Amino acid sequence: MPRRDDIQKVMILGSGPIRIGQAAEFDFSGSQACRALRSDGYEVVLVNSNPATIQNDPEMADRIYIEPLLPDVVKRILEIEKPDALLAGMGGQTALNIASNLAHSGALAELGVELIGCNLRSIDEAEDRDLFNQVCEEIDLPISEAMACNSIEEVLAAADELGQYPILIRPAFTLGGLGGGTAWNTGQLVEIASQGILHSQIGQVLVEESILGWQEFEYEVMRDANDNCTIVCTMENIDPMGIHTGESVVVAPAQTLSDRDHQGLRDAALRLIRRLDIKGGCNVQFTVNQDTGEFRVIEVNPRVSRSSALASKATGYPIARMAALIAVGYTLDELPNPITGEGTTAAFEPTLDYVVVKIPRWPFDKFRTADRTLGTSMKSTGEVMAIGRNFEEAFLKAIASLEYGQPHPRPLTLADASDGESMDERAHEPLPKETLDHWLKVATDRRMGALVEAFRRGMGIEEVREGTGGITRWFLHRFKRIADVEAEIVAADCDANQITETQMRFWKGLGFTDAHIADAISGFPASGWNRLPAGRTEIDVMTRRHELAIHPLFRMVDSCAAEFAAVTPYYYATYEGGGAPLGVDHVPAEKKADCRRLVVIGSGPIRIGQGIEFDYGAVHAVQAIREAGHEAILVNNNPETVSTDFDTSDRLYFEPLTTECIAEILLREGADGILLQFGGQTAINLALPLDDRMPHLSEFGLECSMLGTSPDAVDEASDRERFEAFGKRSIIRLPNGRTGKTPDAIRAAVAEIGYPVLVRPSYVLGGRGMEILTDDAQLETYMADAYIAPDKPLLVDEYLGGAIELDVDAVCDGDDVLVGAVMEHLEEAGIHSGDSTCFIPTQNVSEEILAKVHEWTKAIGIGLNIRGCFNIQFCICRDELYVLEVNPRGSRTFPFVAKATGIPLARIAAHITIGEQLANMEIPRRQTDVVCVKAPVFPFLKLRGLDPAPGPEMKSTGEVMGSHVNAAAAYLKARLATELPVPTRGGVYLTVKDEDKGNLIPMARSLQEMGFNLHATQGTARHLRDVGGIEVETCYRIAEGQSPDALDLMRTGKIHLIINTPRNSGGAVLDGNMMRRLAVELNIPFVTTMSGARMECQAIAVAQEGMPEPRRLVVDYI
Amino acid sequence: MIITGFQGESEGAKVSVTGGFSPGSGQNGVSKAFIARDAADFLLPGLPPHGHLEASGRGVLLLADGSRHEGDLFGAAKIAEGELVFTTNMTGYQESLTDPSFAGQVLTFTWPLLGNYGIAPGISESSGVWPRGVVCRELMMEPDHRHCIGTVHDLLLAHGVPCISGIDTRAVTRRVREYGVILSIFGPIEKEAEMAAILENMDSPDLADLADEVSRDDAVFLNEGAIDTDGNPLPRVAALDCGIKYNILRELCTRFEVLWCPPDIAWSDLKSIYNIDALFASNGPGDPAHPGKATAARHTLAQATKEGVPVMGICLGHQLMGLASGLRTYKLRYGHRGGNQPVLDLQTQKVSITSQNHGFAVEDPVKGMLAPHPSGANSGEVKNLTGCDVEVRFVNANDRTVEGLDVKGRPAFTIQYHPEACPGPHDANPLFDRFAELIETHLEVKANAKTR
Repeated sequence: MPRRDDIQKVMILGSGPIRIGQAAEFDFSGSQACRALRSDGYEVVLVNSNPATIQNDPEMADRIYIEPLLPDVVKRILEIEKPDALLAGMGGQTALNIASNLAHSGALAELGVELIGCNLRSIDEAEDRDLFNQVCEEIDLPISEAMACNSIEEVLAAADELGQYPILIRPAFTLGGLGGGTAWNTGQLVEIASQGILHSQIGQVLVEESILGWQEFEYEVMRDANDNCTIVCTMENIDPMGIHTGESVVVAPAQTLSDRDHQGLRDAALRLIRRLDIKGGCNVQFTVNQDTGEFRVIEVNPRVSRSSALASKATGYPIARMAALIAVGYTLDELPNPITGEGTTAAFEPTLDYVVVKIPRWPFDKFRTADRTLGTSMKSTGEVMAIGRNFEEAFLKAIASLEYGQPHPRPLTLADASDGESMDERAHEPLPKETLDHWLKVATDRRMGALVEAFRRGMGIEEVREGTGGITRWFLHRFKRIADVEAEIVAADCDANQITETQMRFWKGLGFTDAHIADAISGFPASGWNRLPAGRTEIDVMTRRHELAIHPLFRMVDSCAAEFAAVTPYYYATYEGGGAPLGVDHVPAEKKADCRRLVVIGSGPIRIGQGIEFDYGAVHAVQAIREAGHEAILVNNNPETVSTDFDTSDRLYFEPLTTECIAEILLREGADGILLQFGGQTAINLALPLDDRMPHLSEFGLECSMLGTSPDAVDEASDRERFEAFGKRSIIRLPNGRTGKTPDAIRAAVAEIGYPVLVRPSYVLGGRGMEILTDDAQLETYMADAYIAPDKPLLVDEYLGGAIELDVDAVCDGDDVLVGAVMEHLEEAGIHSGDSTCFIPTQNVSEEILAKVHEWTKAIGIGLNIRGCFNIQFCICRDELYVLEVNPRGSRTFPFVAKATGIPLARIAAHITIGEQLANMEIPRRQTDVVCVKAPVFPFLKLRGLDPAPGPEMKSTGEVMGSHVNAAAAYLKARLATELPVPTRGGVYLTVKDEDKGNLIPMARSLQEMGFNLHATQGTARHLRDVGGIEVETCYRIAEGQSPDALDLMRTGKIHLIINTPRNSGGAVLDGNMMRRLAVELNIPFVTTMSGARMECQAIAVAQEGMPEPRRLVVDYI
Repeated sequence: MIITGFQGESEGAKVSVTGGFSPGSGQNGVSKAFIARDAADFLLPGLPPHGHLEASGRGVLLLADGSRHEGDLFGAAKIAEGELVFTTNMTGYQESLTDPSFAGQVLTFTWPLLGNYGIAPGISESSGVWPRGVVCRELMMEPDHRHCIGTVHDLLLAHGVPCISGIDTRAVTRRVREYGVILSIFGPIEKEAEMAAILENMDSPDLADLADEVSRDDAVFLNEGAIDTDGNPLPRVAALDCGIKYNILRELCTRFEVLWCPPDIAWSDLKSIYNIDALFASNGPGDPAHPGKATAARHTLAQATKEGVPVMGICLGHQLMGLASGLRTYKLRYGHRGGNQPVLDLQTQKVSITSQNHGFAVEDPVKGMLAPHPSGANSGEVKNLTGCDVEVRFVNANDRTVEGLDVKGRPAFTIQYHPEACPGPHDANPLFDRFAELIETHLEVKANAKTR
């Protein structure tokens, strides 16, 4: 069936902010869809609230709306744009829910918009558990015994019927399995089920038999309107059933299914997609009892998903692109296979000749108090993928990609048990056996390390299988092999220059990195992998390896196991027999004159503090390099992203972002330059180690320069002492600050500055370990807890209370500075800039100060000799301007600035990096007619044990943007886009610290005038009544243990907004924490700053007037 | 529900834990089912020792293009020589190793981990292991599967087949892709010079009568007396064995009473002695134009077609039909071996993902010999023996080579790929039903003619 010509204009929905359960994979799928449809002549309208995505870059779609992804808003945009069709399968559960809502409400029919890719019935049948079960029964596919329940009573009845615990509870219509879990008793059942009913869009949970310990498989399926079906990829979870697939370590293709097993599941998957009549991509999950061969269908995602992004990257098959084209009528056999090119079509099944391992990236290194237990709902923020010719190689490469500070598994010690922060003295003591057993038993982020450790300690396959609740033996054998070979390296106990060629080849072939080998021949000293004895360091191992002429081979991800001559410029490295050129898939062609080969380093897995915005930066850098006529080579390890789409760059290397891997790529490419400032802290942290490596690499004739800001300048900006020295030379002013490397030095520094102080380790990501301290006791607790390393000082700063914080994103070419935007934070300084709500243009800053900001920005850019992008955090305290921090790299607000002002800073910076001057560039016209607001999105719902209040340590996973000529309306849009409601009536609970009580009065008054009922505890209530004359309903403090307290009011639905400025001491801390936690669970918005509360009130006033009109993004850089 | 391959399959296709091959046992109306050996039976207890020496140590693989590849030896201590081919299936190695179509070849697996789930009883495709040698990246010695009774190494050793592991199979595959299938040899590294000399003078395995080597010598009924659920006897089909895969016989047995017969059985015997209703021609190794038993089978096929008897052919059987219809056959550059080959039905425009294993093809009547081997080897002009025209019904969606023929005006069709799968997807399975329908219609017409 050919292209549909009855459709001209298609609306594509994005997935909104990055959050746990919905990360960059939908930017990848949405971008592919936009590109595919546009290049085929369709007009594309895109709606997405997330400013950091590539998909809402101006060149991606014809018309772009950065607006809240809410049914009413989307409906209004449909009315304005009048598209012929809506493609909802590219924006995850968010988009699917909106489409389902608009279809059910009749809005789509009324507006004459056709839902393409997936019809309403398919969505309902796949998403509604009852309907889905009927479907499976109808086509004779086994499902686990399960009952759909709409109330707790029904849940209890269902549990009786099942007869035994554990019982699995899964909510219908949510993302990332939110609210689901495994219950072992009635208490847990009620708790989990009530959450599930609450979070399900249709108030329904599914109560099922537990299939814990069964194997879990996924099949990625494509189908077209002519009923052609193919399986793109199979995947097998290492973790047995009970762990959400997004939380599992996943291997592609499936490893332990026989051909009969596999074909049986393949048949089942095809029958399902045919019965559901899905046109495009979908994902089917199965569970298999390995002992009996019994299987069950777990679920179907009738859309592209996180798994399909992984499958695309694992096989090279662009699922989302094909799904978009199928949605507009094409059949698979009509679509050329973009990998193998001429003569082959998309109607085939990729075959792999390598193993792919995906490991989720969890935020527990940052959130030490969060519950690390993994289950049926997601906690990871991102993931890494690695490719190798065997499982061991792929797995160890994936570990190296995770960036937890330890690039390979080491023998576990007590330090590993200290909640994410390693402590040197504890590193001498091995992890107790009981702890190890616990780590094996309860799935957490530590389980994979524990598996290797178990075999290191000589545990048997069956013992570990038993201990882990049924991990498949095949995988356990692989972990055992890693441990066995590691023991062999330890036993070699020789200097690097004595390693034989046979040893080196064998070890490298199993994925052991140079650092891992160095660490092992040194006997894994307690001092750490990066402080090894001379002759046995990572560099020594590399040198020896190079002496032996052992380099990786670069293999193409061609989706056909080399059967066809593929054209994909997508590679992975592997060590195996046979030297170059034998078996090398790619020999770079001769360089053209004036064409430089430039390597861009991506940002790795999405994590808190380093999100999709750095992928955006890397993509823009690649685009700039290609625009300038050079070859852009990209290295990254995140399968969710646009940067790792094989046609984003001239050549893509899917590799860990480690010095070793990058050095080998530089050698293979004969790279002329490397760009590090677009990949966030990951790439910046590589600057110095790579710089150290360059002399070694130059022995191979490599002449590769580090482009952009020099490593030395990076160090000057990042090193506190050097930066302070710079500050003294320059016109800028810094807060009073000191550094200390020892506890005594830190105490002295604090004494000199005086409380309150802001403390944090240097060289950190997302403000990790940053805290405001008010007394000695807090200081001692902090120091006891914090990781103080001799070469990484602790920074102590004067805390500027009540200050306005500004963020500036700019670029500098050495002579000139271009300021992208000055952003004003809504929250006062002290809240991490990544967690703040900020405005472009500034709202409360005088012209005089702004002029100073520009002047200082220029002084810093030129003074530090920045080449490319940088970000400065300023604050204004008592009308004085201070510089808080300079980041000599792209910041997380670069994409927001580009979309708010129309100035594509990242791309301009990349042009500078490769040698162009601002003066010779055409800078697009700046958009100034609207106010743009960026608001953060938090993972509190998913991460229990985390205080749901913003502070100096970054907690948000993503962001949204709202824009309008009116600041309050822009804020309202941003707030709505966070998907927390903005109340227009109901009750408000007020509880603020004493110093805020004065400011509360006008706010309370206006809330009352807007028709809200006010509730407060005694103290606040009396103040409002006595001083402000405002009538307030009084309730008990939580600590008083009497009814009604705030929690009761919230549970009974009387509270629709909470204004709570947290106190730092006494019972109020606990009170506040409990209240905020409940608010998170009940989806009640709360604000924790007075400035935030004022803005919230203004937004409510706007909302009461009706929703502001959607605004089309108008910027003219293309 | 248990994963057993086909949904709604017959007893015969299920995994038998006791080994052996007996698709007729347990079938309605069958009192004495024929039992043959399954290649994996040799791993079950109670069989006499196989007597093969176990290989060990370093080995080297030499290719006719002059390249050498070192690895470790497994399986039987023997020198392997043959034409090197590769398969891209990621699963189904046991089925491939026991597929008689691989006779004469050295089989390379592109999937790097060979033997993850071990060897299972009762699922082999024949009684033997047919490749002359196996080349892989990594042989898995700790398989894991509920049906596993041994490793790939055990199976190869029991059947006297050598294996070389640790080979950069991707590099080897790329050479085959570039130069076409090539002659190869591997064995102990100490014997490299000796092997190089053998390779120098090696003949193409296509010259041998491979179909003879792998096929039955006598005709037997697999499920004599089989009846359907209504108690009616099943139509009787003769399956010409040119190297037939067991799963074809399993599929046939679920629908017909099957006579499993040698490739050179006389057409007159089939008609008069066995009184068959239809003829099936199997897959098999080697050159379809070989003057040996393949040619005998070609004539039988032609005769059946000419007389209007229903005919179905798979793989080599399809090539024989091509030759019988006056189309040339030719050697492909590197063939199609794997489970992901897309086949386009020119009538419905639908694509099936199919299982394939062939090195020769039938020329397209219009476009000629697509994707040929650099040697240009082909059958030369052949005579139409059926007196009928054929129509190309299926083509490969990638290289457009011929994948299936319908004989015009006759209840006969053939396909290049494997609807019986094993290994590979089941998309094409309904073709067996198509054959059953052709036979049913044919028998009805015949019956009507008689009553009239």
